[in-house]
Amino acid sequence: MSTIQVDVNMDLKGLACPLPVVKVSQQIKKMTVGQILMAETTDPGAHADFPAWAKTSGNEIIETEREGNVSKFYIKKLK
Amino acid sequence: MWDYISYLVMVPMVYVAFTTLILGIIFKVYTVYKSPSIPARLGVYPQDDITPVGIIKDSLFWPVALKKSPLLWGFLMVFHLAIVFLIIGHMELISDFRVLQIIPHDVFLGAGALGMILIVSTLYFLFRRFRSPFREISIPEDYLLLIILFFSILFGTIFHMSARYGSYSELVKISAGDFREYFMGLITFKPVLSYKLALAPHFIVLVLHVFFSNLFIILFPFSKMIHSLFIFFAISLKRK
Amino acid sequence: MENQKIEEFKQLIKSRLNKPMRYYLDVCTRCGLCYDTCHAYYGIPKKEYSPVNRAEVVRKIYKKYFRPSGKFFPYWSDATEIDDNVMEQVYEAAFSCTGCRRCMMFCPFGVDMPHILSIAKLLLIANETAPEELVMLADGAVEKGKSIDLFKEGYRNVIKDLETEVQKKLNLPSSENLIPMEKKGANILYVGLSGANSIVHPAVIFNSAKEDWTLSYFEAVNFGAFVGDPEKMQFIANRIIKEAKELGVKEVVIVECGTAFRIMKHMMGELPFKVSSIVEVIHRYIRDGRIKIREGSIKEAVTYHDPCQLGRNSGVFDEPRYVLKKLAGDFREMTPTRELNWCCGGGGGLVALDNEEFRIKSGKAKKDQIVAAGASVVVSACENCILQLNTINQGYGLGVEVKSLSELVSENILTGA
Repeated sequence: MSTIQVDVNMDLKGLACPLPVVKVSQQIKKMTVGQILMAETTDPGAHADFPAWAKTSGNEIIETEREGNVSKFYIKKLK
Repeated sequence: MWDYISYLVMVPMVYVAFTTLILGIIFKVYTVYKSPSIPARLGVYPQDDITPVGIIKDSLFWPVALKKSPLLWGFLMVFHLAIVFLIIGHMELISDFRVLQIIPHDVFLGAGALGMILIVSTLYFLFRRFRSPFREISIPEDYLLLIILFFSILFGTIFHMSARYGSYSELVKISAGDFREYFMGLITFKPVLSYKLALAPHFIVLVLHVFFSNLFIILFPFSKMIHSLFIFFAISLKRK
Repeated sequence: MENQKIEEFKQLIKSRLNKPMRYYLDVCTRCGLCYDTCHAYYGIPKKEYSPVNRAEVVRKIYKKYFRPSGKFFPYWSDATEIDDNVMEQVYEAAFSCTGCRRCMMFCPFGVDMPHILSIAKLLLIANETAPEELVMLADGAVEKGKSIDLFKEGYRNVIKDLETEVQKKLNLPSSENLIPMEKKGANILYVGLSGANSIVHPAVIFNSAKEDWTLSYFEAVNFGAFVGDPEKMQFIANRIIKEAKELGVKEVVIVECGTAFRIMKHMMGELPFKVSSIVEVIHRYIRDGRIKIREGSIKEAVTYHDPCQLGRNSGVFDEPRYVLKKLAGDFREMTPTRELNWCCGGGGGLVALDNEEFRIKSGKAKKDQIVAAGASVVVSACENCILQLNTINQGYGLGVEVKSLSELVSENILTGA
């Protein structure tokens, strides 16, 4: 388990494309700079989609964890 | 003064109208020709007919409209057919075409019936736009073109029918020959507006008919009337 | 609005004045036959949701700036200058349309509405009022294309987990190479989506058919097309074309995603490989006996929703029906169906937007169709449609089961055949 202090948790397991990225992006807009969002997803595509999104939207994925087919993305709001 | 106006309408305005029509259509086609093509295929499926047959079927018989609204389709069909026959009828005022005399007839085979059909269908097209939902989607152009067309047909029909059915002395009664003289004059750029024509009863009605027809012809390339040409292009994309 | 911005808008409109656009903008007579053919209008009978009105929003702007009548005599065609109010109408027109082209089936001139609305979408991007979700997704997809090498390893690792899933489903001794990647010279390059389902089920099918295939690094869906940015659309599609060319595959097979399939099949010009939908491939396998399925194993009444981009706009009608009629004892058509089928309301990227209330209302036509068919399983072959059908299912409390065709086939595949 990660020791990262998480501000918001999101369960995106089983959501169909393209909702995980959309939901994360909507959520992160509501948060303040520096806060951390943890998103759980079962989408394999997320491993490319999330980093690409983070790069274009100016946020940072500080850690990625995998347990079975569930992936956890820790995203820090940078701006 | 009146002589002057009627001459303006019957001669120079006719030239202006047809010049505008021809140049306008050339301009429209040239604009399209100059515009870039796109690699995408925009067709819809299933595509049942081989392309040229399908394009002609869709462009001339509008099966899509028949399925959606048989009433409107009926009026559209009757209207457009009547227009085609009237164009042929007017051609006979220019010259005597042998082919058309397979059924021997006086000029204007329909004897006024086509005009009546057009008046009714034009009014139908106009009146349907007075109510919802078609009112909401109509723009001034839709009404104005129909009104201009209506007047043109109305005056044309009145003139034709009064000339045909009115009891005038043979001296003033005008014939196809008088029109051929007028039209040939226009075509050979030696315009004449004979006294016979100008002194005919209801000459003013003829002038009004020509005026509204000219107006319609001028507007043709620059209005939605271009649908008569572009339907073939648009339909060919649907079947690609 | 300041002149400079108007000039920019004019240039954008001009950039879209291709041949089809010229025909479509000029040919319409506002006959009104399309008036009630849009599912959005069916659900919300306001003129804003009638196809002709959507086109008029664009047409009036076009006439104002590009036609003599609009310049000198705007009354004639009610030509309008662009202002904020007009831009709101433009938004309403562009993003209430799913691009299903049902209206085109009722237009005597065959006007392609989404083609006209591509101008609207371009103006919205320039005005910075395009839906930000779609802009973001398109940007993400472009970024992924640019720096794919950074993501490859992470992606391959997750795919390994999926291979185990496929192994379980097929009762195989090893999970090795069940989802091949970067396989040069393969017959098929399969392009999926982000979700696991879009990869696992097709992988089960491909392996059962002993296909020589490889999985793409990219997702098929094209958010560039949804947002209406022609350059991003091209870029996103070209990522896949480039990959296919580099691998030298014979055929690119697109996941159950109508838009992705239509773009690849019909919008990209001539390509050096065949483009098929996974639906066509499944049909081919079953027809040729390469896979065996439990025939008649579904006892409940099943109906099929034709994804607009797959059916009406690409011509795949019979293949899914062939498969479903084998699987289901009680297959029912919706009315109307095939090329006149009502759009579910999810296309055009609308499912990605925060507009659930609108989508439930505009899904009324589909809801009525499902109820009338009396089916308890609704099958479709497009991720967008599936999402929207689920929204309709929940929104109206229909209590039906929504399934994708590949899922249904993969669940009913006979292993070891």
